[in-house]
Amino acid sequence: MSDCAIETSGLTKVYNGTLRAVDDVSLQVPAGSTFGLLGANGAGKTTFVKMLLSSCHPTAGSARLFGREAKDPESRRSVGYLPENHRFPTYLTGWEMLDFYGALSGLDGVARKRRIPEVLELVGLEERAYHLRLNQYSKGMLQRVGLAQALLHAPKLLILDEPSDGVDPVGRRQIRDVLQALEREGVTVFLNSHLLAEVELFCHDVAIIQKGRVALSGRVRDLTSGSGYKVEVSELPEALRTEVRSRAKGETTGAEGIQWMFATREDANAAVDLLRAGGCEIEGFSRSRSTLEDVFIRTVQSKSEATQ
Amino acid sequence: MNPRALIATGALVVDTFREAFARRIFWGFLGASTLLLALLSMVTTIQVGPATNDPAMMVRQTQGLIATLFYFAGMALAVFASSGLVSAMFEPGRIGLLLSKPISRTHLLLGRYLGNLLVVAVNILYLVGGAWLLFGLKMGVWNMGFLLSSLCTLFVFAVLLAVIVLVELVWESSAIATTTAFGLLFVSPILAQRAAIERMLGSELSRTVLKVLYFTLPRTSEISTITQQLIMGQPVVAWGPMVTTGLFGAAVLAAGVWEFRRKSF
Repeated sequence: MSDCAIETSGLTKVYNGTLRAVDDVSLQVPAGSTFGLLGANGAGKTTFVKMLLSSCHPTAGSARLFGREAKDPESRRSVGYLPENHRFPTYLTGWEMLDFYGALSGLDGVARKRRIPEVLELVGLEERAYHLRLNQYSKGMLQRVGLAQALLHAPKLLILDEPSDGVDPVGRRQIRDVLQALEREGVTVFLNSHLLAEVELFCHDVAIIQKGRVALSGRVRDLTSGSGYKVEVSELPEALRTEVRSRAKGETTGAEGIQWMFATREDANAAVDLLRAGGCEIEGFSRSRSTLEDVFIRTVQSKSEATQ
Repeated sequence: MNPRALIATGALVVDTFREAFARRIFWGFLGASTLLLALLSMVTTIQVGPATNDPAMMVRQTQGLIATLFYFAGMALAVFASSGLVSAMFEPGRIGLLLSKPISRTHLLLGRYLGNLLVVAVNILYLVGGAWLLFGLKMGVWNMGFLLSSLCTLFVFAVLLAVIVLVELVWESSAIATTTAFGLLFVSPILAQRAAIERMLGSELSRTVLKVLYFTLPRTSEISTITQQLIMGQPVVAWGPMVTTGLFGAAVLAAGVWEFRRKSF
């Protein structure tokens, strides 16, 4: 079996001969990883996911799931999927819906009967809702039952499109806990989300897709780590401040005190030495970090400017 | 077929039934059939009497009437009900999840097709089987031809359902699909008058076009005649309409499968 849960090579989808929704995307998602696909609306994320699941045929390139061609139905046996704008059959109850999709996933009656209550409990759906029709479910309940559907056959790869959409903060936390437990079990989680903070909290690897192309990819830790260092003090003599400022690349003053940004660790340490020699108390010393949102905005803006 | 494929097929069929049950038209269909059976039970009671010389013939004639009514009115209702049932599967947000499951597109489409066919088969069996049982119990006439006629009705519906599936896949419109199926039902009695129409046509080309249409499109009108022959216990003179209609249905269904396999959702 392949080490990659998802592997695409030059994957391209062109609509109407001109609109390149996905353009030459080559991506590798290692098995057991947590991967976030980010992008603005219309960037091509959903089309990319659809091609992985073979509901949309690529114009060029290929996609493989655990080494199998994505167009082979067997490649999807170990895949759980929660679509973004899902429309579950409202004439079914939560239990019946899981029973139906479980059967399509190849689970026999005994396995379904055993697994359905397990996954419903796992996603935190109240027992009284099991036999309610889906048209009586709230958006959050539909997301939960949708997630349960994706987990039912114990997949090795979970593809989730906006899993927290419509879910309250407690529910989001619950979903994240479920995903983290799955990650510990070695399940690959591929998350397609607009909620950058959520992706940052959960995913180890991300790719940012812009106008159908991968604009940036890498480990979240590396992408968000800044190149500078931050030193904080509450108060100090003006002469010392002037000297430290001259070595820093930036200074900010707030109610908490004064912060300096230094380009290198050596500069930051030299400033600390200077401050300590001047009898000043250091309040904080840290490596500066960007949020994933900063990285995303920077990437999207720079790519937009480049294409203009 | 492997066990997993059987489980998936069963799930698709059951799901189609559940969706049909959730629609009022299914219950309307069943209600109309129940009403007809109730009326029939009274009619047979009234008709049984010493004035009838040949009760078997009287039963066959009544069954012929029911079969004709069911063949056209019931077929129209079934077509109307089925168009929405098939297209529901192609709805965005629903088809994506179905296609993400480890079953082939051919399997998915044919499973739904089979489910839809069985929904109508249950209705036909209920009405025709009920009427057959009623006539048998009350008048002692067990006409197997009447039961066989229901298979002809189901056969024609299967062909029209294939048309609905293909049209919905190509044009993504239930209205166009229903209209096309009704159009085929409507044009069949006209084409059945081929010999008379041919005499009115001037050019060889138009006669050839007529001939091609006649042998290509479903010959539902002539199949209706076959059902009558079966019910009346007469020998079926020509099975040709069944053969060409069956070939048409198989070709259209194959085209539907091909279109479904190549389509991006």
